[in-house]
Amino acid sequence: MIHTENLSKTYRMGEVEVQALRDVNLEIKDSEFIAIIGPSGSGKSTLLNLLGCLDKPTSGAVFIDGIDTGKLSENGLAEIRRKKIGFIFQQFNLIHTLNALENVALPMFFAGVGREARLKRAEEQLVKVGLGDRIYHKPSEMSGGEQQRVAIARALSNDPAIIIGDEPTGNVDTETGNAIMDILEGLNREGRTIIVVTHDAEIAARAARTKGMRDGKVLD
Amino acid sequence: MIDKFLLAFRDIRERKARSILTVLGIAVGIAAIVSLMSVGYGMEHAITGELTEMADMISVMPGELRGGSYVEKGSFTDRDVSDLQRIGGIKDISTMTYDAAEVEYRNKRVPIFVLGGDTKELESFYVEPVGLKEGRWLRENDYKGCVIGDRVANDFFDEVIHVNDKLVINDEKFVVVGVFEKGDMLYSNDVDSNIFLTLRAAKEVLQTDEIKYIIVRVYEIDEAERIAEEIEERINDNHGLDDFANAMTMGSMIELMGDIFMIIQGVLIGIAAIALVVASIGIMNTMLMSVMERTHEIGVMKAIGAKSRDVLSLFLLESSMVSLVGGVIGCVVGVIIAKVLSFLGSAASGLEIAAIVKPEVILGGIAVALIVGVLSGFYPARKASKMSPVEAVRYG
Repeated sequence: MIHTENLSKTYRMGEVEVQALRDVNLEIKDSEFIAIIGPSGSGKSTLLNLLGCLDKPTSGAVFIDGIDTGKLSENGLAEIRRKKIGFIFQQFNLIHTLNALENVALPMFFAGVGREARLKRAEEQLVKVGLGDRIYHKPSEMSGGEQQRVAIARALSNDPAIIIGDEPTGNVDTETGNAIMDILEGLNREGRTIIVVTHDAEIAARAARTKGMRDGKVLD
Repeated sequence: MIDKFLLAFRDIRERKARSILTVLGIAVGIAAIVSLMSVGYGMEHAITGELTEMADMISVMPGELRGGSYVEKGSFTDRDVSDLQRIGGIKDISTMTYDAAEVEYRNKRVPIFVLGGDTKELESFYVEPVGLKEGRWLRENDYKGCVIGDRVANDFFDEVIHVNDKLVINDEKFVVVGVFEKGDMLYSNDVDSNIFLTLRAAKEVLQTDEIKYIIVRVYEIDEAERIAEEIEERINDNHGLDDFANAMTMGSMIELMGDIFMIIQGVLIGIAAIALVVASIGIMNTMLMSVMERTHEIGVMKAIGAKSRDVLSLFLLESSMVSLVGGVIGCVVGVIIAKVLSFLGSAASGLEIAAIVKPEVILGGIAVALIVGVLSGFYPARKASKMSPVEAVRYG
């Protein structure tokens, strides 16, 4: 379970201070499928980054399974990212010098998994998302939808309990977007917690719960 | 661990042009060091090789070799020589005298150094290493014969001098019985511009009894140092001076050469080291650029679970691999250049110079390359590892 207590984040952009999040109190239960919807600048990406342990709060706290992430070291955060969280980004963010198989194996590489085990599991994941015949292709040789599916397979690499998607369908067409949401629903049925941020109401509707955001605050 | 290498290798291959340039930078620096050291060792060996042939010789001079030039303090006397004859372990003593004389040939007068000494000593000293182009060497009873150096024969006068031509030295008539070949680097100073006479003829023509140079040959080479010291003592006593006679054994001469070489090598290597510093600055720059360009990628890697240490070792590995390849190439190229330089050097100086490639130099070259790679890659790698995942991910 994830919950936040008076979570706030302020950024400094040159001389100006921007308050991206203001006192956010949010609770996400295990195996929930939640979508956070809001316009640009509402702070949803910032919230996602904090939930995903990519960043630390300015004030307030994020608790993941009872652990206060604000008190963890860099290495501690990295460990949570590795073990509990799988990320999907809007721009896919695959490493373009590696092929699909190697991209999916990468998180396991950082987790210290042996070469054979890594590649075997990576292939399994790719088959699961329907890309069994493209495992040696590089990202540049794939369509947007295929790249995002590789990213999902990568996110599942270390068998995380939580999947976080930042506008996962933002860069693909509607049909592919729906296919991706299908996959996410499937993962949710497996028991994983899915947190998705989007500005698209139709995509948000596919989640079990939706929360709106505006100006750094979560709306009820 | 192998996978880390593969990952680093991919990244290097991705930026081919830049990686190649960095490799070249290191290769040049290492090649310079390796070739200079190898040629240096080769030259030292060639020159000391020639000197070791005269290992049983002690040369005694009334002066000092100071900083590369000879400062004459006077001359020896016959008494000095007879005193030396009483020192145990000496096989042979021969003396030389020399001075400038006025030499006339076909109505042109030129001052030239005239050297006279024991004909056998002079023969092994000069004729054997340098060789005669025309005619023959002096005999003990060559009262009016002379042998001239290459420059005397060809450069000093308006016409070329050949065997049987007649010279007038300090108003005395002499006949040329032989002409020297041009001396190589070691000998040209002593031979090319001089005229050689028998000791007796030289003493008469130069009107002197002064002895400017004594050559002593010993029975046991191991005794040479001791005998040299005793020679200095006795002559100094005779003249009532402290630092007058200078007796050098071949051993100390070879040591001196060795020292000179080390200094020259040191300077050249200093220059090569500067090249390496430039190369390592290049590496640091390249790596920094690489880190900047891959900010986004680093963020992604951290997002999917890479620790700071993983990022650090990845970048360090990259810079080490690049510099290692540069080092190996540098060693290979350095050896090739060394061989070429030795060939050219042999041709120019007349000595047989063969580059000596020592394994320590090669290993050292590779080690230096690796160290340069690690040191110059460290700051950029550290910068990469400290990037915050959030900033990095947003960068793209």
